[in-house]
Amino acid sequence: MKKRVIAMVLVGGRGTRLGPITKFTAKPAVSFGGKYRLIDFVLSNLTNSRIDTVGIVTQYEPHELMQYIQRGATWDLDTSDGGIHFLTPYTSYEGEQWQKGTAHAILQHLRFIKEYNPDYVLILSGDHVYKMNYKPMIEAHKKSQAEITIATFKPEDSLSRYGVLVTDEKENIIDFQEKPDQPKGEHASMGIYVFNTACLEIILKDALTDEADFGKNIIPKALHQGKRLKSYRFDGYFRDVGTIESLYAANMDLIDHPEYLKLHDYKALPLYTKSQDLPPHHIASKAVVSESLISDGSLIMGRVKRSIISSNVLINHQASVENSLVHAHVKIGENAKIKNCILLENTYVLPNTSLLFDEITVIDNELLWALGGHEHE
Amino acid sequence: MNEMFAVIDATTKGQLDKLTFHRMPGALPFAGKFRLIDFALSNMKHAQITNVAIFPYGNYRSLQDHVGSGKRWDLDRRKDGLFVLPPKHFGIPTDDMITFQRMNEHIEYFRRSTQDYVLLTQANIVWNIDFNAVLKEHIEKKATITEIMLEKKRLKTFIISKQLLIDYIIEYDLIPYKTLNDVVNDAPAIEVHRFYHKNYCRTINTIYDYYRANIDMLRFDFGRHVFKEDRPILSKEKTAPPATYETDADIENSMVASGSLINGKVIHSIIGRDVIIKKGAVIENSIVMSNSVIENDAHINYAILDKATIVKKGTYIEGTSREPFVSQKEQIMTNQNDFSILHVSSECYPFIKTGGLADVVNGLTRNLAKNGLEVSLVLPLYQSVKKNYESVYKKLFSKIITYNDEPHKIRVYSLVYKQVNVYFIEHFKYFERDKIYGYEDDGDRYAFFNLAVTSILNDIGPFHIIHLHDWHTGLIPLILNDQKSPELTLLTLHNIDYQGIADANIIRKLNIKQFVYTHDKINFLEIGIDNATKLTTVSPTYRDELKYDYYGKNLTPVLLKRERDFYGILNGLSRKDSPQNDSLIITKYDAKTISAKIDNKLFLQKEMKLDMGLDYFVLGIVSRIAEHKGFEILLPALEDFFTHTEDTQLVLLGTGDQYIMEQLKHLEAKFKNRIKLNLGYDSTVPNYIYAGADLFLMPSRIEPCGLSQMIAMRYGTVPLVRKTGGLADTVTGYDPITKSGNGFSFYNYDPHALKQALYEAYQLFKNDKTTWRKMMRRGMQSDFGLKKQATKFIELYQLILENRTTR
Repeated sequence: MKKRVIAMVLVGGRGTRLGPITKFTAKPAVSFGGKYRLIDFVLSNLTNSRIDTVGIVTQYEPHELMQYIQRGATWDLDTSDGGIHFLTPYTSYEGEQWQKGTAHAILQHLRFIKEYNPDYVLILSGDHVYKMNYKPMIEAHKKSQAEITIATFKPEDSLSRYGVLVTDEKENIIDFQEKPDQPKGEHASMGIYVFNTACLEIILKDALTDEADFGKNIIPKALHQGKRLKSYRFDGYFRDVGTIESLYAANMDLIDHPEYLKLHDYKALPLYTKSQDLPPHHIASKAVVSESLISDGSLIMGRVKRSIISSNVLINHQASVENSLVHAHVKIGENAKIKNCILLENTYVLPNTSLLFDEITVIDNELLWALGGHEHE
Repeated sequence: MNEMFAVIDATTKGQLDKLTFHRMPGALPFAGKFRLIDFALSNMKHAQITNVAIFPYGNYRSLQDHVGSGKRWDLDRRKDGLFVLPPKHFGIPTDDMITFQRMNEHIEYFRRSTQDYVLLTQANIVWNIDFNAVLKEHIEKKATITEIMLEKKRLKTFIISKQLLIDYIIEYDLIPYKTLNDVVNDAPAIEVHRFYHKNYCRTINTIYDYYRANIDMLRFDFGRHVFKEDRPILSKEKTAPPATYETDADIENSMVASGSLINGKVIHSIIGRDVIIKKGAVIENSIVMSNSVIENDAHINYAILDKATIVKKGTYIEGTSREPFVSQKEQIMTNQNDFSILHVSSECYPFIKTGGLADVVNGLTRNLAKNGLEVSLVLPLYQSVKKNYESVYKKLFSKIITYNDEPHKIRVYSLVYKQVNVYFIEHFKYFERDKIYGYEDDGDRYAFFNLAVTSILNDIGPFHIIHLHDWHTGLIPLILNDQKSPELTLLTLHNIDYQGIADANIIRKLNIKQFVYTHDKINFLEIGIDNATKLTTVSPTYRDELKYDYYGKNLTPVLLKRERDFYGILNGLSRKDSPQNDSLIITKYDAKTISAKIDNKLFLQKEMKLDMGLDYFVLGIVSRIAEHKGFEILLPALEDFFTHTEDTQLVLLGTGDQYIMEQLKHLEAKFKNRIKLNLGYDSTVPNYIYAGADLFLMPSRIEPCGLSQMIAMRYGTVPLVRKTGGLADTVTGYDPITKSGNGFSFYNYDPHALKQALYEAYQLFKNDKTTWRKMMRRGMQSDFGLKKQATKFIELYQLILENRTTR
C-alpha cells in the first residue's frame, strides 16, 4: 500500500528533567491542561493534517501510552489501510536492537517505513505543545525541492536550550548549532522534519554508529554531505515542555492566554483527547472557583483559584487550591491548603495539610509520606 | 452471559413539545453531556448484551447520528451488534409503547437473533440498572414475563422469552393485546414477575420529567446511583477543553460540562458543553444546553434553554418549577413584549359567532390584552353586527380599494372591547348579507376582505405581527409578500376541513404578480400555510398528527414543508366554565366540595326521566353528531355495554348527521329506560351533563383540540377519550397498576378498544370509589386556562420577532 506521507512519532524520551512527573509515565503521556496528555497534540495535528499512517516509536514505559492510544480511534486514526503502529525495540539476528538515539530508533524501523513506500517521511516528537497543520510544510518541502525540511520557531526564552538553525535569505539552512552559547541565528529547530524517503534511508544507513540523534548527529552530517536542507518557519504557539517550570508555564498559558492554543476553536485544528466517560463536574454550594479550568467528574466543595483541575478530583470543604495543577483522581482533604503545586495522579492530601510553596513543587504520595503528613511551610 | 438480546423502544414521543421538534426523546441531551439513550445502551453494555435493536419513530436522524455504529457501547461487532430498525409505514402515528405490529415489520430480526431471552426497554429512562440481575431473577422465578418496576411506577421494561415474544408478534392481528403492557394487564394465565429497581430512576415523558431528572443529578444521593465509577454511562465522544472559570464566576451547586466559559453567576443549574455565560448574567434552577450564550446581565430562572439559544443582554426569563420556560433550538431571546398584534378573523364572540372559532379568538385576544400587549382585531362588518353595534362603534375613515380592476369603497369603524381595539370593515355588497358563510362568491368575499385588511394596515397600525385565523384570512400572507410588506404573519389552523377552494381567477383580481398557478382552483388555506411566517394549530399532538395523510389530508405535503415553522398550542378554557361559577346547575361545587356533585347527578337523572340513584353509572355525551366524533365505533360499543350491564345510563346531547341520529334513536328505543337522547341542542343545557354525569365520552376519530373534555374535567366528570389531538394532550389514561391518570383513554379506532376502556371505567367506578374520586379531583385541578394559552402565544410572538431574519 503506497502512501504519500507517513509520520514517525518519537515517544522514547525519558524526560528526566521532569523529575517525579515521569517516574512512572512516559513524557508524552504526561497530563496537560486538565484533560489532555501531551501526545494529544501530535496525534490531533496528524489527523487535522489528514495523515493517517503513523508509527509510534516507543522505548520507555510504553504500556500506559499504548493503553491510552490503542488503535487511535479518538483521533480518527484507526483506518483500515494505515492507522497507528506501535514500533518497539526488538531483537533480530543482527543482535539486540536497543535504540541508541532518535535517528537510531527510526533506522530500526526502516522496514516499516518501506512497507508504505512513502514519498516523504514526517518525523515528530510526542511531547511538544503546539497546534500545527503539517500539510503546508510538506507542500513547501516539495516545492523547494529540498531533501530535508526542518520546522523552526522563535523561542521566547534563551536559544541556548535549543538547536539553532542558521539560514540564508532563502531559508536554506547553512549551519547548525546545538545548544549554542552564542547563537548565530534566531530560529530554533522544533524537532519536526520532513525527509525525502530515499535521502532518509541513505543518511540513516551511513549513520549506523553508536549514537545517532537527529539534532546532534544527522543534521550536521547532512549539512556536511551537502544535502539540500530548508527551514520552514512556524509562527504559532510552540512549547517544548522539557522542565517542570516550562510544563507549568505552558499549562498556565491556558488560563492567562486562551488565545494561544484556542482550545475552544473546534473548527480549525481541534485538539482531541480520549473520553473519560464521566459526568460533568459538580461545584457544590459553598465552593468558590475563579480563573481556573475544571474537568469532568470532579467535585469541588472548597476554593479553587488560578488552577487547573483534572478529572475525578475531589476538593473537600474549606480546602483551598491556588496556582496549582491538580492531576486526575487526586483527593484533597478538608481544610488542606495548596499553593504552587503540581499534584500528581492519585495523590491523596490528608485534611488540614498545608502545602504552600513559593516555587513550583511536584507532589506525589511518596513525598507526602516523607513529609509525614505533617504541616509543611 | 450472552442469553439476552435487547429491543430499545424509541417509538414514543411523549409530551415534550418543543424539545422534540428536532429530535426524538432518546436523543435529548441530559445532564450536560449525555443523551437519554446512553442510559439504555450503557446498561446493556454492562450486562454484556451484544445484540441490540432500536425501533425509532419518524425522525430519527439525531438519534442515528448519536449512536453511530454503536462502537461506544461495544456494539460494532461481526456477529450481532446494533440495528436501527425504522418504521416501514411512516403513516402510522405512534402509540404509547411499541406495538407487536411495529415489531412485526422487522420479524426477521427477531427470528435471526440467537439468544433465548429478550429485554424490551425504553429509550427515555434515566437509570443505572444491572439487567443481568433481572434476567437471573426471571429464570429463577420461572416467570413468563418479568416487568421492571420502580415502587408503583411501571417502566415499560420487560424480559420475556424470545419464542413467546415472536408468537405475539406473528399473531399481532389476531390477539387482543397490542403491546407487552396489554399482555401484562389483561392476559390470563401469565406468570408475571415484578422486579423492583431500588435506585434512582425516571422515565422522561413530559417537560417536567425532563427538568426534574436533570436537577435531580445535583443531589449527591441521586447522582451517585446514576453515574457510578464501576458502571459508567458511556456517550458519544466529543472534543472540548475543561470548563473555564473567569474572574467573576460565581457558582453554587451546579454541574458544568466541558468547553463552557463561565464568568457569571450559576445557581442550582446544569450547564451543557460549550456554553458561554457572561459577566453579570444570573442563571438559577435552569438547564442550559450546549452552545448557548447568555449575555451580560441576563437573568434566567426555571428555564430549559435548548441548544444554541442566545439570551440577549439584560433579558429576563422566568418559568416555574412545575412549568419551566422552554426555549427552542437556536432561539434568540430578548425581553421585548411591547409589541402590537393584529388579529384577523371571520368571526369573534360576542360580535359574530357560528362556531368555536369565535370563542377562541375572543378568549385569546382578551387575554393577550390582559398581559399588556396592544391587541387589535379586524372583522368584516356583517349585517347582524351592524344591527347590534351600530350605536357603539365610531367611524374612522373610508377608502377606495381596487379589486378585479374595479374601485370599491370601504368604511372602517372601531370600538374598544375588553382592551382590544376592534375594527370592522364595511362593504355593502360582500358583507351585508343574511348569513355570514355559504355563498357562491365566498372566495371573492374573503379575498376582498383580505385585500381590504392589507390596505388599511398603515391607517390602523403599525403592527409587529398579524395573527390570522383559518382559511378566511389565508391570502393575507400572499398579498403582503407580493407587496414586499415587512409585516410578519402567524396563521392558526383551527379547522382544516374548510380550506376555501375558489376560482384561481381571484389571484388576478387581487392584482398579485408573483404566483405559480398549478390548477384552475386555488386553496386559501394552503396558500396561507405556504406564505405565513409561522403556523400554529390547536394542540401539540394535532400538530404532529397533521404530518400524516390520515389527518392532514391534502395539506400534508405543504405542512411537512413548513414543519419547522409549525407549532401546537392548546386552546384555553374560560374561567366561566367551572362548576363553582355556574349558575345554571342545581348545586355549585368545587374540588373541595366535590360531594355536591351528587345533587347534580340526581337532578340530571330526574330531568332526563331516568331512574334516580347514585349507584347508576351515568355516561354523558355532548357532541356534534358527525362521523369524525367517533359514532362509528361508539354505537356498537354502547350496544354491547348496555346489553351486558344493568346499572348504567347514558345522556346524549347534540345534533347533526341524520343517519347517525337515526341509529342513536334505535339504540334509545332498545334501552328505553337507560338511554336518553336530546337531539336538538335545546331544552337541556350541556352544563347539566357536565355536572351530572360520571363519565364523559369522547371517542373522536379526529379531535384537533376539543374543549368538552376539558370542561368535563373541570366539572369532575371523568373523561373517556381516544388518544388523538387535544384529547391526548389533556387526558392521561388510567393505569390499573399504578392507579394514575385523570381519565381513560384508548388508541385504536375500533369498537373493541373503546369497549374495553368502557368496562375498565365501569369496573373502577363500581369497585374502587377512592381511586375514582382521586381521578375526579385530578381532573378538576388541571390547568387549561386561557392565560396559559396566551402566554404560549406571547412566547411565540417573541420568537417570531427575535428570529425574523431567519426567514
